[in-house]
Parts: sequence; structure tokens; C-alpha cells
Amino acid sequence: MLLREVEYTKPSSIAEALTNLAANDGARALAGGQTLINVMKARAASPDVLVDLNGLEELKGIELAADGTLSIGPMTTYTELMDSAEARARPILGEVCSKIADVQVRNRGTIGGNICANDPTNHLPPLMAAIGAELTIIGKDGERTVPASDFFLGVYLTAVGQTELLTRITIPAGKHDGFAAVTLGVDGTCIVNAAASMNGSLRIAIGCVDAVPVLLEVESPDTVRAAVRAAGLRPPDDVHASSEYRAHLAEVLAERAARQAVAP
Amino acid sequence: MTTIAPEKVEVGKSLLGESVPRKEDRRLTQGQGVFVDDIKRHGMGYLHFVRSPYAHAHITSIDVSKAEEIKGVYGTLTGEEVASLTDPFFQIASEPGGLIKDFSLAVGKVRFVGEAVVAVVAETRELARDASELVEVEYEPLPALVDARTALETDAPVLHDDAGGNLMWEGVYEWGDLDQAFAEADRVVKIDELHFHRFNSTPLECDGALVEYNRGTGQWTIHTNNQFPGFAAIMMGPAMRCGLDKLRFVTQDIGGGFGNKITSHPQLVTCCLLSRKLNRPIQWTEWRTDFHMSMSHGNERWFRDTEVAVKDDGTLLGFRTKALDDAGAWLRYEPLGGVIWAQVTPGMYRWRHIRVDFTQVATNKAPVSPNRGYSRMQHLWFTERVIDIVARELGLDPVDVRKRNYIRAEDMPYETPNGCIYDSGDYARMLDIALDLIGWDSMEEKRRDAESRGKRLGVGIGSTLDSGTNNFGQSRMINPELQFSGNNEVATVKLDIFGEIVVTLGTTPQGQGHETTASQVVAEILNCSLDDVHVRPGHDSYWNSHAGFSGTYASQFAVTGLSAVKGATEMLREEIKKLASVIFGGVPVEALELAEGGVRIKDNPEAFLPFMACGAIINANNAGLPEDLGVTLNCRYVYRPPFEVPDIERKFGNLTLTYAAQIHVAVIEVDPETGYYDIVDYAAVDDCGKRINPQIVEGQVMGATAHAIGAVMHETFEYDEDGNLLTPNFYDYHVPHALDMPPLHTGAIESPSPFTPLGTKGMGEGGGAGIHAVCAAVQDATGKIVTDSHNPYHRVWELMR
Amino acid sequence: MNVAVTVNGTVYERDVEARKLLIHFLRDDLDLTGSHIGCDTGNCGACSVILDGTLVKSCMLLAVQANGSEVETVEGLADGEQLTALQQAFTDHHALQCGYCTPGMLMSATSLLRSNPSPSDEDIRKALQGNICRCTGYWNIFDAVKSVAR
Repeated sequence: MLLREVEYTKPSSIAEALTNLAANDGARALAGGQTLINVMKARAASPDVLVDLNGLEELKGIELAADGTLSIGPMTTYTELMDSAEARARPILGEVCSKIADVQVRNRGTIGGNICANDPTNHLPPLMAAIGAELTIIGKDGERTVPASDFFLGVYLTAVGQTELLTRITIPAGKHDGFAAVTLGVDGTCIVNAAASMNGSLRIAIGCVDAVPVLLEVESPDTVRAAVRAAGLRPPDDVHASSEYRAHLAEVLAERAARQAVAP
Repeated sequence: MTTIAPEKVEVGKSLLGESVPRKEDRRLTQGQGVFVDDIKRHGMGYLHFVRSPYAHAHITSIDVSKAEEIKGVYGTLTGEEVASLTDPFFQIASEPGGLIKDFSLAVGKVRFVGEAVVAVVAETRELARDASELVEVEYEPLPALVDARTALETDAPVLHDDAGGNLMWEGVYEWGDLDQAFAEADRVVKIDELHFHRFNSTPLECDGALVEYNRGTGQWTIHTNNQFPGFAAIMMGPAMRCGLDKLRFVTQDIGGGFGNKITSHPQLVTCCLLSRKLNRPIQWTEWRTDFHMSMSHGNERWFRDTEVAVKDDGTLLGFRTKALDDAGAWLRYEPLGGVIWAQVTPGMYRWRHIRVDFTQVATNKAPVSPNRGYSRMQHLWFTERVIDIVARELGLDPVDVRKRNYIRAEDMPYETPNGCIYDSGDYARMLDIALDLIGWDSMEEKRRDAESRGKRLGVGIGSTLDSGTNNFGQSRMINPELQFSGNNEVATVKLDIFGEIVVTLGTTPQGQGHETTASQVVAEILNCSLDDVHVRPGHDSYWNSHAGFSGTYASQFAVTGLSAVKGATEMLREEIKKLASVIFGGVPVEALELAEGGVRIKDNPEAFLPFMACGAIINANNAGLPEDLGVTLNCRYVYRPPFEVPDIERKFGNLTLTYAAQIHVAVIEVDPETGYYDIVDYAAVDDCGKRINPQIVEGQVMGATAHAIGAVMHETFEYDEDGNLLTPNFYDYHVPHALDMPPLHTGAIESPSPFTPLGTKGMGEGGGAGIHAVCAAVQDATGKIVTDSHNPYHRVWELMR
Repeated sequence: MNVAVTVNGTVYERDVEARKLLIHFLRDDLDLTGSHIGCDTGNCGACSVILDGTLVKSCMLLAVQANGSEVETVEGLADGEQLTALQQAFTDHHALQCGYCTPGMLMSATSLLRSNPSPSDEDIRKALQGNICRCTGYWNIFDAVKSVAR
């Protein structure tokens, strides 16, 4: 409940933020804080410096291009996304965000934070993977863009390095998406979740079953379960679910998400 | 969804039975409550505990020097110091459990993950936490014992060498004639194993204290949220080698208790020792993780080799079972759980031949202590499971089996096989109301509708008894050497110098509205307005308004507390009349009445003495009053319920004074593909005798329902094989929130108790009725027998495979 | 670090460690003990306050992050002796027992009613999802909030 000593800085530009991060190995970006502050309370991780991104306007905002592409600033809160007229171009985004945690968390927590935390039970990593999002990262060598399928590297680990920042999330146009989850209580932490998106091909991403979302491409919702079984999932055992139960849920939820995606 | 609206009371109408708005609410809705962490003292030191990372280990060395070197760290306390400064806590158990040595910090060994080993005190909270990381404790890990079912095997790790093994207590309870019953039975239904899981009520406010030591008088002032100071004092005084008057307990607002704030005496002792050692007030805040890891888990209990003697028509003759109770690492209020269940031995049913072999063992888990429904809940869950399993085996309707076997209204007062007296109640009628509320008649239609949506409907009934006002003589069944029996509670009511009516209680409310209900009783008897009655919030030993059993626990305030209030107020009323009689020149007291804030002659109401005048005369203007007047206007009354010491040999006798009842019905819809389920409808009917404030009673029923839903669906204190708690905080231990609550229909009847001064019965615990009902619903939906009290989605899925 | 935080209309200037949580700043430094702490993982909502018009859990913010901001706590709801309609409704509907979750509940409900004066039953439940209560089962709280809705 009580944090270790930490230094705090609130940069007013991305360049300044990058400098702050590079100045100390133990510097970490502070986005919404709805994950990081709890981690620090438990002293499971204790950064030396917190670089508060909440002053960076360049990391906020949602733009809808003429071709339907959405460009989302990572410091957009879940509430801001749910309230955004532009984001309605891809309805699954607001629908999923509205199920994350609770009002207070949604008012501070950010899209970028959820993606970069990459907790295996988070909602957005599988969703981003299924809909084919692209993540733009800025580092000392400039900007680069990484597709979601290559972005999630391990538990709490993504392509964003310690001295880098996620600057933009680009969502292609589309509307045929689905998301299904079994959660701890209504709209609680996910026990297993699955996202699906139909865009030419039917792409499934399953969360909570491995270190990173498990990606599958399938023919149709009818072949989803077999595809999931063939993937040979060995999900973790914990107090909420056995490995077997998670593997079973993965099949069921992947199919449900797929059916939502292809529904007219 | 309250079904009871607050009332504006008409003049002349009785206040008893009115849902008057609560006096407590004005300060609580403004954030002006005083909870223990709100209290500050100049120079106070913040305490942080260094806790064991091992479930079972020898402590080989402790080095606090690095911590103590830090500027701002005031000092530390270790188990070694505690062992030299205090004696082990008194043990309720006889041998072997009674041989264990329990100190306020671990001495020589740790026995559960999270056990407090060293206390560090510093200038700020953060610094105490930082410094605690510099305390070096070396451990030699030992194998951990996590499954109580293996605790008595020859190679099981032994927690307490002093006890020579993990057996803490055992006893055999047998009444009636089991051989006869089983001979007469048409069938014997056998149930291998039933398991009641480990969880608790997680009050939103955790434990805490601010302790000050007065060097000049040797007295400690303990600001705390402990809900049973009478018990804490009895445990702390002898351990600290001081008289009980040296321990002043002060509470005001408490953020929920539910029994989970009874056993904080070890932490309080540590705070007391440190306040003396460091010569400054000591502040201790328990964080959520600390609470989950170390405080007050509810009893985990197995019922094995159960055999039930039944007739083909569903008549239950009797049962025998072997109850195995997992007490965790220490006996803090245990083994009382080994007898408390006997208050409700037959549950709501008329079977007369019963045998329970009760065994309690220690394991490397957090110590168990009372939890809402304490020990009766476990036993009642067992009886309810038996009803449903028997109904299933015999192909009978559980409603019919219940009604066939319920104790009937005309049998009341009913003596159970072990001599407890159920005072009143009409269970069949309650069940009918509950079934009506839930739309029982259209249940088959609802079932078909659910099916059309791919869901399986399940309906379940749960009956429960809130036995209230303990006879502490039952403790002698655990240990014949104990010198406890009966019960008591104290209240004082005085008329102050300016006519203020001031009430003090011995209780420690945590949301039950004592200030309000006590005011209702006082205002009723003195025939004055509620606003004229001032009930001091909370508890303070200095008021001398407490007795050995004072506190708020075990569903008893409406009997013990309110009866004490009634007694004190009636004394005051008589004194007021006596004084008025003299002041009015010898008018007989029968000719006087209390009304409109004073006392007057019935036939001549203009002869009126306001309370203010009464108070002023006695306190400040009393020359010339008769020598033998005997009026102080400061009345103290001790309510003592009528109990005898039970027959220890036969384990027979009345163990509780009142029996409130609740019957719940739950309707669930299960997704057969995932095991996920929702409670789609719910009914709760209660009977707690005369209700002084129906809205407060209904609030308790609702809260108990929510606790039960949480426990059966989500809440569990589960350990891995190394003794690590897998649900140490609210992230993993899911507590129901606003979206998790089903629609709720409530109903009530009142069967007044013939044994209590006001006809009230204590209530509030709710005995897990929701757990019983949802388990039954899961059994109905899945078609499989439910043998565990905890039924999260994965278990439901497993049942259906 | 120096911070200047306006709480319920009063500006407080203090020197705090960067690691100090906003809830501890309110309770320990400013003696505003109306907001409570019920957990250590950001789940219970007892610490809920309104920061620059937005409902947040003050246990997941550093005090330094509130520098220059306006915070509203339960202590700022009533106007002198005059309770808000919501506070009165909580009493009328027995929407509190121990009162520990109540400040957080009131802030969440206040925030809801500001942005949505006519919430549906579902809106109310969703708005209070982040506030745990162990005493009431929530039903009376829903009633209290509904009764104040337009």
C-alpha cells in the first residue's frame, strides 16, 4: 500500500519525455496509473523515476480519416474513447472498453497503458491483434510502426523499449468484430477472453491462455473450435480456473467471438 | 430495493416497530464518522509488521539493527521480547489444543504465510514499511500442512510440538437412539464428503488501533475497532500481566465487523508493548492484504461418512457424520466453533437421532475466527445439503421434504435433541411466502423459457437459523475447566443536570444502528421525542457501561443490548416518578405519568415537572430531599438472560436464547457450455420476532444475502501446496459489486420470542442462507449433487461434464 | 516536492514526497478523513473523489499529480448544515450501515447525477460498480440514487 521512494517528473513534450526515460534505467512511463500504481503499492516493481505522460497533448486525441482509419492517441482514456464520436466508426472499441474495470478506472486508465502493460488478462491486446491494429513507437532512432501481431512479446513485455514511447494506435477501417469473455463477476477481470475480426479472413486472438495473445486464422466460425484445439493450448492453472477449463473456454469463446464478427 | 419506507411517527404512536431514520447517518453521510485510522496523536509512531513468507519454518535469527539505524525509525519489537514480557494467551481448549503457546508475535517458529514476526515503528507510514525491508529474518523452512484431512496422519508436519500433534480438539456429540433410528429407516442415504469452504466477510475497513500508554497510571488507552472488547480484555490482561482496568477500550465508528474483528488481541498486545517501550502512541493500520493473509478466516469444515436414516416418504429420522474442522495455525476463538454449531443441531427439522464426531485440527493457514454465521452456518449448510440430497435420492420434491420435516409453529417452544429451546417460528409459512415471492408456480414456464435461450434454470431453497444471545456455558463442553457461563450486557440511562437524556451501551456497533434502536426504546418508555435521547456513539471502558461479555457479535443486540436499555430506562422512569411524587407533595407514583418531556399528574396535567427540573434538583438543588429517597437519575442496568449451566456430560442444555430464521430462494440460469451462471431472481423471508426498526432488520437481511452470494460464487481463501494464499487481496478475491446483485424480493413475519423482554430476537448473521439456496439451485440446474459450498463457474462446468 | 491542491474550494500548499498517494495526502496531511481506504489494489472505491470534474480513485494517483487541480471530497458536499438531496436520500432509504463505503458511494453517485440527471437502473449500477459495500448488498443504495434522479 505504500510505495518505495521514487522521483517524479512531468514532461511537456515527447522529446522531453524520451530524455527523461533515457536518463535512468529505472525510469518508467506513468500513463493512467491504474496498473502501475498498484504494482508499486505491492512493491512488485519500483521504478526509480516516474515520467508522467498526462501533460502530453500530442499523445491524446482520436482522428477518423476519410478511408475509415482511426488514429488513437495512447493517452486516450477508456471513457474518452467511449464518448468519442470518431471511435464509433469501429464500435467494438467502445463496447470492449465499457467492460473494463469500473467508471473510476476508465476515467484515468488509458488505451496505451492497457496495451503496453500486456497483462495476459487485459482486454485490448487480443482485440488489437484481432483487428490488425498498428502501433507506432518513438525512440531515439525515430518512429517505427509495428503490427499488433508482432507487438506483444511476453508477460508485461511489448515492443516498446524502456527508453521508448507508444505514440499512436492505428486501427484499419472495419466493423465486423466480436469479443467474448468469461469474467470474475460481471465485467470483472477476464478468466479467458477472445477477440475476432472478419476482414477478408477471419482472425481470432485469444487472451489469458498464454504470455501473449494467441493468434489464429480460420475459415469460418464452424471451424474455430477445431483450430483452437489444434493450437495445443496449455493455459495456466490458477485459483480461478484449471488449465483444462481455460482451454475449454478458449474454444467456446473464440467461436462466440467469431460468430459475432460474421453476424450481419 | 427496500420494501420498507421510513415513517414519520404520529404523535402517540409506538416507536417500536417504526422504521425511523438512523441517527448515525448524519455524520456518516458527511464523512464525519470517526474510524480508527482517522484518529491522530502528536508524536505517534506508525507500525508495520514484518511477516513470514513461509507457511512453516523455524526462525533461526532476527536482526533488526539495520532497520533501527534509519533516522525516523523509533524502534522494533520481536517475538523474543514478547515472550519475556508477556505470558502466552489463555487457551479456551482443554488438552491437547490447550497446550499450545500463543504469543502476539511469532516465537521460534512461523506457522502461516503472513504471520507477524517483527514490528517496526517509524515516523511515517512509508518509512515503517521501508525499514521493515531492512529487518533480516533467517528461516529454516519446514514442510507445510495445507490439507486438514491429512493433519492426523503419522507423517504430517506438526505445527505445535507442545500439543504433540495437530489435533486441537475432539468431541463426540450423540443424542437420541441412532441404532433405533437406523433400524427403523427404510433407506440409509450415504454422503461421502461435503466440504464447507474457507472465506470471510471482508469488512471494508480492516483492523486497526491507536494505542497510548500512560506511564503515570500504567494504563493503556486502546482506540480500536475490535468488536468484542470484553473478550479482548480477558485475553490481553493475563497475557500482559496487568489488571483489566489497565486496558481502556475506546471505539466509535467501525467499518463492518461480521465477527472478523474479534481476534485482533495479539496485534493489540504488540501495540501496547510498543507504546510502553517507545513512550509514544502507536498507530497500526491493517492493509487489505494483511487482513486476508492473517485475520479471521471462517471455519473450513468437512462432513465425512454421513449417513442419513430416512423413510420412503421423506421423513428424516436422524443422521451421523464426522465433522473435521480446519482451525488454521492458532486457536484464537477456537475451539468454540466445535460447540457453537450445536445451537442448531437439527437445523429447522424434527429429526431426533443425531451423532456428530467433531475433530478440529491445526494447519499452516491463517487462524480461523468467527465469521458471519459462525459455525452454525457450516452446520446448517450441512443440514440443507442433506435435505436436498435426500430429496434427490428419493425422487421427492425438496419443498415437500422440507415441509414434512420442518419443526412446526405449534411445536414451539421446541426442545431440540440436545436441549436447546427454539423459542418461536413458523418455517412452513416463511417458505410459502418465499415461494410466492419467487413465482414458484410459474417456475416450469421459466425453466422452458431459459432452455429456449440455451440456458439451464435452477431453483434452490436455503433455510437458516440465526441463533442469538449465547449461553457461554457451552464453552464448558469444549473444556470443563472453563469458568464461563451465561451472558450479559449493560446500559446506562441518565437524566443530566439540564434534563438531557444520555444513554451509554456496552456494545460496539459496526453498522447495526444501535444509537437509533436504543433511542427508540428509551423514547418509548420515557414518552419523549427521539431527538431528546442522546446515545453516545461506540464503546468506552471508562463509561463503566460494560460487562464481561460486552460487544457486538453473535446476533444479540436486540435482546441483550435493548433489554439492558429497557431495564435502565424503566429504572429511570420509576426514579423520575418517585422524585416527582415528593416534589408534588406526596402524590402516589401510580397517579403520575411521563409525557411531553416531563412527568405530570395524570388527572391534573398542569402539575408538570419537566425533565430539566428533575435533573437540576437531583444534581444541583437537592437540599431537603428525604434521606431514603434512593433517586440518582443515573441508572445502570445489567441484562442477564435466563440460562443454566448446560449438562456437560450429556452435552445437553439451552445454548442460545433466541432463534431468528431466514428462508431464501434463488433462481439461477447456467450457461451449460461455460458453467457461467447468473442469479436471475431471489427471495428472502425473515422472522426475527418483534422488529424494533424494520428497515434496519431488512438491511441486515440484504447484507447477509450479498455476503452469501459472494461466498458461494466467488469468494474463497484457497492455498497452494506450499501454503501460499492465492487470494490475498481484492483483485483475486472477488467481492460482489453493484452489477453482480440479482433482483431481490423480501418478506417478513414476526414470531415474537416468549423469552425476551421486548419479544425481540437477535438477528443479522443470516447464517449463509444464500449459500444454501444457491448450492441447491446449482444442484437443480446441473442435475448433479453439489458437495461443496463454493461453486464458481469452473466447478459448475465440472459438475456438468 | 511542493504541491498546491484545491480541495473543496480551499487551496492547500504542502511539501510532499513524490511517492505519497493522493488518498494519504487527503487523510494524513490535510486531515480530511472522510475519504477512506478499504483495499490495496484499487478495487474497492472507498477512496473515490472528484478530480477536475472527473471521478477517480485517489489511491491510484500520486498527490503530486493533483498539483494545480481541484479535488472534491465528501466533506465538500453539504452546504453548512444543509445536506444534499443525495445525502438525505441515503438516510431515507437506509443506504448505509457502517458508513465506511458511503463517502465513496456519494462521490460516485454525485458524479453520475451531474452528467446524467435521469439515469436508468442500469446506469446507476454501472456507475457504482467501482464502489464495494459489504453491509447493504447495494439494493438500498440503488433506491437512494434513483429517488434523487429526475
